[in-house]
Amino acid sequence: MSSIAGIGHGVQSPVPTTAKRSPDDVGKPAEKILLRNLNFYYGDNKALKSINVSLYDRRVTAFIGPSGCGKSTLLRILNRIYSLYPHQRAEGDVLLDGVNILDHGQDLNLLRARVGMVFQKPTPFPMSIYENIAFGVRLFEKLPRAAIDERVQSALQRAAIWDEVKDKLQANGLSLSGGQQQRLCIARTVALKPEVILLDEPCSALDPISTAKIEELIDELKDDYTIAIVTHNMQQAARVSDYTAFMYLGELVEFDTTSKMFTSPSDRRTQDYITGRFG
Amino acid sequence: MNLYHRRRLVNAIVNTLSIGATALGLGWLVLILGSLVYQGLSALSPAVFTEMTPPPGADGGLLNPIVGSLMLTFLAIAIGTPVGIMAGTYMAEYGKFAKLTVVVRFINDILLSAPSIVVGLFVYEIMVVPMGHFSGWGGAVALALIVIPVVVRTTEDMLALVPRELRESATALGLPLAYVIRHVSYRAARAGIITGVLLAVARISGETAPLLFTALNNQFFSTNLNGPIASLPVVIFQFALSPYANWQKLAWIGALIITFAVLALSITARALSASGKSS
Repeated sequence: MSSIAGIGHGVQSPVPTTAKRSPDDVGKPAEKILLRNLNFYYGDNKALKSINVSLYDRRVTAFIGPSGCGKSTLLRILNRIYSLYPHQRAEGDVLLDGVNILDHGQDLNLLRARVGMVFQKPTPFPMSIYENIAFGVRLFEKLPRAAIDERVQSALQRAAIWDEVKDKLQANGLSLSGGQQQRLCIARTVALKPEVILLDEPCSALDPISTAKIEELIDELKDDYTIAIVTHNMQQAARVSDYTAFMYLGELVEFDTTSKMFTSPSDRRTQDYITGRFG
Repeated sequence: MNLYHRRRLVNAIVNTLSIGATALGLGWLVLILGSLVYQGLSALSPAVFTEMTPPPGADGGLLNPIVGSLMLTFLAIAIGTPVGIMAGTYMAEYGKFAKLTVVVRFINDILLSAPSIVVGLFVYEIMVVPMGHFSGWGGAVALALIVIPVVVRTTEDMLALVPRELRESATALGLPLAYVIRHVSYRAARAGIITGVLLAVARISGETAPLLFTALNNQFFSTNLNGPIASLPVVIFQFALSPYANWQKLAWIGALIITFAVLALSITARALSASGKSS
């Protein structure tokens, strides 16, 4: 029932609730991102076929499926990182708070500040730990030095890495271990205060301990952010997500709450995949 | 003889031939350096760096060609490096998928392997003839034309080595391309780009042909770039072919100075690229 209190609070808050809610939806989270009839092409190769799915506000949605099924491709549409490459194009609607981000004239840099992304391979920039975070913040906000210090600290705390790096903020980001680097990348994304965070197999290059730390982190971050995660690890999907989407050969086979997907999926292929019979 | 012994025998033969070829190559290098050091070092004295080139039979040094060479090299790098880095940046970042890049790369490769005497003749036609006299500016421009393709090539190659993921994750933070290039790509490729510039310095410091038609030579001390100016390679060329023993000695010394300067540059370049990899 805390969500009802949340809605009541939202009336006074200046934050606009753009997604429309019918009375039936009370208790159900709002749609942050809505994909409608989305197709994606690499040149002539159709990689996504008529995808329809919603990402709910402040929920974790996991995308699972065998390699090459298009789950990373789907994630790369949501912040339009694919636009870096010619010959890659998306058709359909991707509504972020009701605005189609595929429209011409969208400011991609502002979009990407709202929709952050963490990649499979940790990618700290070749600069100090402090600068890795401060650098992006300075681009979007004119803040005094102390405010930036504070932002760096809170981002690092948010990403559960502050205690490990607080004494060496000037050390090169590349000197950290793989798991720390990945948390630094998450901190870097969080520091820009995005609304959505996309995680593209964030743990596939990490050991189990680092993986556990990142999963805990995801659990905490979902209080404030809408999260989409692509993972090959089904236990991980089951552990961290509220909703799960199963994709196969460029199609979205099934989308439901994680508990339903992992206990009584309605599609045969989903059942086969999560029980390890194929894929 | 079974198959295994046959392979061992072939391995031994190829190994011996490879070592022989290496020894042959290195042997000549040692002979060249040895005679250079033997001939040059015996006549090296402080006067070399403080006195002007002498008339036949008198004492003197190499001050004017050393200063001339330093000026010409500095100017050529100052002109060629910005052009080369910007062109290389266009090719690796802005125009990665453009047809123009393919054309520029092709032409640049031709320029890279063009005989330097052609460059000298070209500058002679466009600068020396219209100006009516030989000049240091002409020499600097001719050397810059040799610097540009080297820097373009190394800049493009080094930027191409920057991982795609790094560029994507910077873009995913909402950074405009210019920021991504300046703060991430350049940083990651810095050691390589500087190495390219140092290699260009090494390349032009021994060039004689382009200077013969442009800066010519000057037996007096001159820093006037509007007139002929002395340089080490041209002085070596002139003195080594002369019948005078003191001129020949100075030619040896000049060759020794250039060789060690280039050697020092190469070692610096090596050290830089090694430190770039580890950080």
